Amino acid sequence: MAITFQKVGYQYPQLQQQKWAISEIDLLIEPTKEFVAVIGHTGSGKSTLIQHMNALLTPTVGQLNVFQHEVAKGKPLSPIRKRVGMVFQFPEYQLFEETVERDIMFGPLNFGVSKDVAAAKAAEVLSVVGMDESFLSRSPFSLSGGQMRRVAIAGILAMEPDILVLDEPTVGLDPAGQEEMMKLFTSLHDDYHKTLVIVTHDMNIVAEYTKRVLVMKAGQLVFDGSPQALFTDDAALELFELGRPDMMNVLASIANAAGTSKAASVITFDQVVAYLLEQS
Amino acid sequence: MQVVIGQYIPANSWVHRLDPRTKLVGLILLIVSTFLIQELITMLSLLFVVLVLFASSKIPLKRFFRGIAPLLFLLTFTVIFQLLLNRQGELLYQRTAYLGWQQALLTLIVIVVYQLLKRVTRYRFAMFVLSLVVVFYSIQLEFAGSWLTFDIAVYQGGVVFALFLVTRIVILITLSSLLTLTTKPTDLNNGLEEVMKPLRRFKVPTNEIAMMIAIALRFIPTLLDEANKIMKAQSSRGVDFNEGTLRQKVTQIISLLIPMFIISFKRADDLANAMEARGYAPGRIRSKYVTFHMQVPDYVLLAVTIGWIPVVVLLGL
Ligand SMILES: Nc1ncnc2c1ncn2[C@@H]1O[C@H](COP(=O)(O)OP(=O)(O)OP(=O)(O)O)[C@@H](O)[C@H]1O
Ligand SMILES: [Mg+2]
Repeated sequence: MAITFQKVGYQYPQLQQQKWAISEIDLLIEPTKEFVAVIGHTGSGKSTLIQHMNALLTPTVGQLNVFQHEVAKGKPLSPIRKRVGMVFQFPEYQLFEETVERDIMFGPLNFGVSKDVAAAKAAEVLSVVGMDESFLSRSPFSLSGGQMRRVAIAGILAMEPDILVLDEPTVGLDPAGQEEMMKLFTSLHDDYHKTLVIVTHDMNIVAEYTKRVLVMKAGQLVFDGSPQALFTDDAALELFELGRPDMMNVLASIANAAGTSKAASVITFDQVVAYLLEQS
Repeated sequence: MQVVIGQYIPANSWVHRLDPRTKLVGLILLIVSTFLIQELITMLSLLFVVLVLFASSKIPLKRFFRGIAPLLFLLTFTVIFQLLLNRQGELLYQRTAYLGWQQALLTLIVIVVYQLLKRVTRYRFAMFVLSLVVVFYSIQLEFAGSWLTFDIAVYQGGVVFALFLVTRIVILITLSSLLTLTTKPTDLNNGLEEVMKPLRRFKVPTNEIAMMIAIALRFIPTLLDEANKIMKAQSSRGVDFNEGTLRQKVTQIISLLIPMFIISFKRADDLANAMEARGYAPGRIRSKYVTFHMQVPDYVLLAVTIGWIPVVVLLGL
């Protein structure tokens, strides 16, 4: 197991009244080939949960292990941070070096990789995120928002983490940009066998791309299963106050108009197309 | 993240209810008077009055000590310098002192011990005083082969003046913390704007100054929040903000500062656009949502503080 939460709870020390941001979290995440979505209402504790995964926050109570390292105050954290990469919301703001290349090299250099290796890595990961080598010598601040975000993600990939945790990575991008970003993650998952954990508010992303979904509600982990199981469980959706992916709504409308009683339990675009072809 | 800016402590005391303008003017007048007062007894009485004011404001007394604590070291040095260097009035105390390698060594040891212990003990100031006392006693012992011999003499002028300075500093600190503890930052700023109004005649842009302060107050928590996020993001990239050599420290700070600059500029840009869209134009007269009303205690306090200055000057107190 790469990441194991056992009865983990966390309280922000700054808060006056003691309120649990997350509590009673039990969770296992595999070191490779997982694609996990974390969803839930605003303030439900998603960001708090994932910041534990790379030891930015240490549990107030409970036991958290990441790659056999215990996450607790006073324990060495850099081996954890090297293996679990974290991409924050609007990661473009973490860029600060003069050139794209130097910014991508920043992480590896901090973890003790030699300059030459880091430079080679920079060129490599830049192509992984879909940008060509001509960008290496450019200033990160001359790029568009979407390009900056790719560079920031490249900067994390350059550290060669096994697990990549992303907090709302598609926020603020146009639909085409969002789709490209999700394609990038899919390829990281399919081709590079990384485990990805992404926080999102977009049910379409959950349905189309991810294989496992965690639902947070008021600091508790209330659902852990496949998107299929979640979206076909009407009672659960109602209880967690979650919407459905667009494709399910489309299919429901079609079924309604055609007078068929109940739509099938298909959730992705491809499944819906296949289902409709089969029906006609 | 919740950040409390300013140190406002909500309570319902007469000091809290005072008009911020009164508090500001009163503060300024009393501070001016501490520089006009000539007699030690007047200064001590003023300190007494100020402490009574503080006590009547329902602010916990420990806040008073918290205000003074950072200045204890400064105050101690002021006192020592005054005592040793001021040579006016009667001679009160005299000793011969010696400085040799023994004393130098002891002082060095005391400094090292102090530096080591100051991180772990809560009684840092007590340690500091103790170190001073040890050093002070050691220089009164004569050892063979001391490098130099000198006199320590304390005169009456030194004692009086040291007391005078300490009292003045304590009054200044108490008054200004009383102001910030009992007045909301926004009220303080609005009050400041009103008090500065006469300066408009001299083309001082008082509205703009007040607006700048208000915006700064508004954005301090926001920017701290952003700084926190950037620090977390850079920590994920292997920066350890708690440790590092000097060179690493420089890189750490750059990796925080440059993103902060960019975020601040972007925020400033957005805010400027939003303000323009809502019709804000620098220099134009704006109407006010908050208006202040003077009550009886305000008039009394103003009259007293205004009257106090000529009393001090004319009677030579
Ligand atoms: N830095 C902080 N200091 C104090 N409390 C915090 C802090 N960050 C979050 N909280 C509190 O912890 C709880 C969980 O917040 P968290 O940011 O994890 O929610 P979230 O699910 O990520 O929300 P969103 O969808 O808006 O990003 C909230 O009640 C929030 O007020
Ligand atoms: Mg969040």
